[in-house]
Amino acid sequence: MIDPLMPASLTASRLAIVSGKGGVGKTTVSAALALAAGRAGKRVLLVEVEQRQAIAPLFGERLIGYEERRLAPNVTAISVEPDEALVEYLYLFYGIGRVGKVLRGTKAVDFATNVAPGLRDILLIGKVKEAERRRQEGRYVYDLIVLDAPPTGRLPRFLDAPRAVTELVSSGPIRQQAQGVLDMVTDPKRCRVVLVTLPEDMPVRETVDAADALAKMGVAVGPIVINSVLPEVFSPSKLKVLAKDAATPLAADAEQAGIRLTEDAVDGLARVTSMHARKTLSQRGAIAELDRETSIPSLHLPYIFSPRMGREEIDRLSTELEAQGMVG
Amino acid sequence: MSDLSQLLAERHVLVCVGPGGVGKTTTAAALAVRAADEGRRVIVLTIDPARRLAQSLGLDGLDNTPKRIPLEGERRQKPPGELWGMMLDMKSTFDDMILDMTSPDRAEKIFANPFYQHISSTLAGTQEYMAMEKLWELHEEGRWELIVLDTPPTRSALDFLDAPKKVTDFLEGRFLRLLLWPYLQAGKTYMKAVSFGAKAFLKVATKITGSELLEDVANFFLAFEGMYDTFKERSKRVYDLLAARRTAFVVVSAPQDASLREARYFVQRLGSEKMPLGGVVMNRTHDVASVAGLEDPRALAERARAAGDGKLLAPALELYGSWREVSIREDAAVAASLGDLTDVPVWRVPDLADDVHDMASLRQVGEALLGPLPRTRAKGESA
Repeated sequence: MIDPLMPASLTASRLAIVSGKGGVGKTTVSAALALAAGRAGKRVLLVEVEQRQAIAPLFGERLIGYEERRLAPNVTAISVEPDEALVEYLYLFYGIGRVGKVLRGTKAVDFATNVAPGLRDILLIGKVKEAERRRQEGRYVYDLIVLDAPPTGRLPRFLDAPRAVTELVSSGPIRQQAQGVLDMVTDPKRCRVVLVTLPEDMPVRETVDAADALAKMGVAVGPIVINSVLPEVFSPSKLKVLAKDAATPLAADAEQAGIRLTEDAVDGLARVTSMHARKTLSQRGAIAELDRETSIPSLHLPYIFSPRMGREEIDRLSTELEAQGMVG
Repeated sequence: MSDLSQLLAERHVLVCVGPGGVGKTTTAAALAVRAADEGRRVIVLTIDPARRLAQSLGLDGLDNTPKRIPLEGERRQKPPGELWGMMLDMKSTFDDMILDMTSPDRAEKIFANPFYQHISSTLAGTQEYMAMEKLWELHEEGRWELIVLDTPPTRSALDFLDAPKKVTDFLEGRFLRLLLWPYLQAGKTYMKAVSFGAKAFLKVATKITGSELLEDVANFFLAFEGMYDTFKERSKRVYDLLAARRTAFVVVSAPQDASLREARYFVQRLGSEKMPLGGVVMNRTHDVASVAGLEDPRALAERARAAGDGKLLAPALELYGSWREVSIREDAAVAASLGDLTDVPVWRVPDLADDVHDMASLRQVGEALLGPLPRTRAKGESA
C-alpha cells in the first residue's frame, strides 16, 4: 500500500484535477481513476464541468445532470452547469431562492457569467470546492473528487479565475468564495493536477508547458499519466530495421518455424509490423522527451486496441491503476 | 461533390471544423500546402497551432498579419502556387473591427473600458467570431484564391456557427440594458419593464461584483450604442460567405466513438443550416486489410512460439490480429455514425505513426488524402 500522502499517488490529494491536450483521454482516465478509487473503498465524486456529457456514455448512461448520481459502487457523478451553480450559489449565500428560480433560463445567467471576469469558472470550481468541504456526521462525504477538467489550453485561466476575482473585488461573499477556492487549488494536500498525455510529441510538449504554467501558479502537479502506451513487443535494437523493412526477416522466421505464408500474408504482416515499429520509435522518443523536460513522476496506461471506450475498457484501465499502486 | 481535389482546385473558402484533438489544424495546413503545390494562391488561417508546426511554417509570431511560407521541396509546379499563413490574434482582430466600425475617439473610449478588455479576450464565442471576421477580411483583400480556415475546438458543434449571433446578442444586450437601467440613466419607460426578478438581480449583482464594475459595463454598452446594426450586418455577410457555393466545410474527425459522435453532429448541423458540406476527413485510421492465409493470426502465433520463434514472427502475428480488429471496429464505428448520411464523402488519412510537424509530413497527409501530386497541371497555365 502506498502512503496516501506520497506524491506519486493519483489520490495523494482529495481533489484530482484531470487535464490534458484535447483528445488524449482525460475523461477516460478520470473515469478509470474514479472506479479504481471506488473499488479501493474511497467514496468518489466524478465531476464534469464542460457540459460535454462525455462521462455518461462510458458508463452506458444517457445523461448526467446537476443531481449527484451513482454510477458504480462508491462512485457518484455530477455535471456542473454554470446556471445551476449560480442559482445554488445565490440560494446558499444570499438565501435568494425565488430570484434564483426566476433567473433560470433567462439571459441573466449569461450576463452574470460573462460580466464578472471568471465568475463562470468560479461558480464551476466553487461547486467542486463545496463538494470537497462537504461533511456529514463529522467526516467528509467524499474521500476523493475527480474533476474531468477543461483541456490544458484553458486550464490555467480556469484555475486562475479566483485570483482574478480577488484582485477585482476587495470584500464580500464572492471575494470570500474566490479566496476559498484559491486556498484549495494551491494546497497540495487538498488539490493536485493530474496531466494526461499521449506518448506523442505534441501532447508531450503541451504537457510540459502546462506543468510549468501550473507550477508558477502554485498548483501541485503530478503524477503525469501517459495514456495509450503501445506494447513494446520487439527488441529495441531491431525497431529501426523493422520500421523500414519487416518482410525479409518475417519471411525468414516463418520459414524457420515451418509456417508457410503467402507473399501477400508476409506483406500484410510486414506492413503492420513496420507501422508498429515506427509508432514504438516515436513513442520512445516522446517518453524520453517528457523525462528530460520534467521531473514529475509519470505512469503508463496501455493502449486499448479498440475505438470504443465503454465500461469494459474503463474497468481494464482502472485495474491497471490499482496494479500500479496509484489509488493509495 | 465527393472529390476533394475538385474542392481544393475550385473553392474559395475551406472551413475545417470538428472536435478538439483530431488534427484539425494539421488537416487545414496540409490542405493549404497541397493546394499551393498544385498552383493556387492559398492562405491558411490557424487558431492555435502546435508550437512545432507553427515554427516549421514560420508562424510562431502572433502578429495577426499574413506571412509568406516558402514552398521548399523539389516537386514544385510551374507556375508555382503561393502559400501564406497567419495565426489569429483575437484581441487585435476585435480592436480592428471596432476601429473599422466607429470613429477613432469613440474606439479609444471603448478600448479603455476595463469591461471591453475583458470580453474581447474571454467572452465565450469571441474566438470563433473573430476567426470569421478575419476570414471576411482576407476574402475582401482579394489576394488569395483559396482561404483555408482552421477553427477553435468548440465545446459543442453549435458553438461555431452560433458564435457571431451569441456575441452580437450579448453586445446588443437588451436584457442587460434592462438590468442596468439605473446606470444607463434610462427613462421611466424602462421602469415598467423591469421585473421583480431583474430588480432583485441587480441588487444582488451589485452586491456581488461591486458597483464599479457595473458602471464599466453600462459605459461599455453606451459606447456601443448604435453599433449593433453594423455588428449584425457584418455577421450576416460572413454568414452569407460561409453559406456560398464557393465555400466548403470539411468536418475533421478521428475514427473513435467520441469524435465520431461530434462529427455526426457537425454534419447534421451544417445540413440544417444549409451550409455547403464538402465531406469528412477521417484522421489517423488504422487500415489493416484481411489477407488470405492470416485468418487466424493467433493460432499461427502459437505455432510460431511452439517452434521457438517468440521474438519477431509470433508478436508480429499477434499485432496483426490486434490491429486488424481495430481496423474492423473503426470501420464499424465510422459506418455506425456516418453510414446513413448518404452523399457525405469520407476521406481517410491513415495513422502516419509520426507527428506531423513539417512541410514534408504535411505533404504526406496531402498524399494520403489526394494521392500523389500530379506531375503536370491538368488545368490551365495560370492559377
